[in-house]
Amino acid sequence: MNTNHHSNDRPAWIDQANRVLDDSVRDLDAATLSRLNRARQAALAQQRPRTPRAWLLPAGLASACALLLAVIVWQPHRHIETQQPAPIATGASAAVDDGDSEESTAEFYQNLEFYAWLDAQNKGGDG
Amino acid sequence: MAEIAGTMAGSRLEFARRVDAVSTNQRALDTFLRGVERRALRMAELACGSRDDALDVVQDAMCAFVRNYAAKPEADWAPLFHRVLDSRLNDFHRRRTVRGRWLAVFERKSADDDALDPIEQAQDMQDPGPLLRLAGSEAGKALDVALKALPLRQRQAFLLRMWEGFDVATTARVMQCSEGSVKTHLSRALAALRRALEDHQ
Repeated sequence: MNTNHHSNDRPAWIDQANRVLDDSVRDLDAATLSRLNRARQAALAQQRPRTPRAWLLPAGLASACALLLAVIVWQPHRHIETQQPAPIATGASAAVDDGDSEESTAEFYQNLEFYAWLDAQNKGGDG
Repeated sequence: MAEIAGTMAGSRLEFARRVDAVSTNQRALDTFLRGVERRALRMAELACGSRDDALDVVQDAMCAFVRNYAAKPEADWAPLFHRVLDSRLNDFHRRRTVRGRWLAVFERKSADDDALDPIEQAQDMQDPGPLLRLAGSEAGKALDVALKALPLRQRQAFLLRMWEGFDVATTARVMQCSEGSVKTHLSRALAALRRALEDHQ
């Protein structure tokens, strides 16, 4: 940058010219200074950090995790759903009762009290 | 979920660190631009001939400098800024020349490569010089007229070497030419200025 050093090997009039040039930039009018200030602010505004770009990585990561989680959760259901239509397709008799099926077993245990009551009713009727 | 929260916290920290770094950099840039803007305006004004055009050129140079070179080391900022400014001034000069040709009002200036006698250009170190013989504001006006009359490259060489105080190598980088060219432009500028200021008396 400007050093304004006096050099022994350069003519004195050049140092004088430098002083004249320095004087010419010292006293600028207010309008010019204001425009220079606005120009500087406009230039610096380009450098301010942009929040959305900074959040892109974590947001993208979170979206990817959510997608992965959805796929994992959805997969077993899809597996069961794809297995279910098969017995229906084979015929009505097969669909009535399939003891090996997990769903039927669960249904049986849920209605255990009902079956016990039914059994008691049948025994009462017989006796 | 803990992993995501950890990543988010890390990103937040990284973002805060970046904001802090940018703020520090902006303060340094602001100080730097404050330091060079007036001289840049003066240079641009001498090249453009009007203050409005000069302000536009300086703003354009500031924006381009911040956009492209803000991340460079601070020590390199001054030559880089002047390189951008010099480039913008060359562009302005070219546009004006083309426009002038189309409008057929182009005023030919003295050719940049006039053959000058090197002995004639040699400075007499005992001579007080033309500016010292001119008083006060007269000197300013005389210098202004003499500088405006110089070809762009000669004027830039003079202002960058003599006023900004850049060495020959840095001036060559700023002006994107060889060191020999800088010396030639400067020598011619000094001779022309001296002649013009002598004539002014």
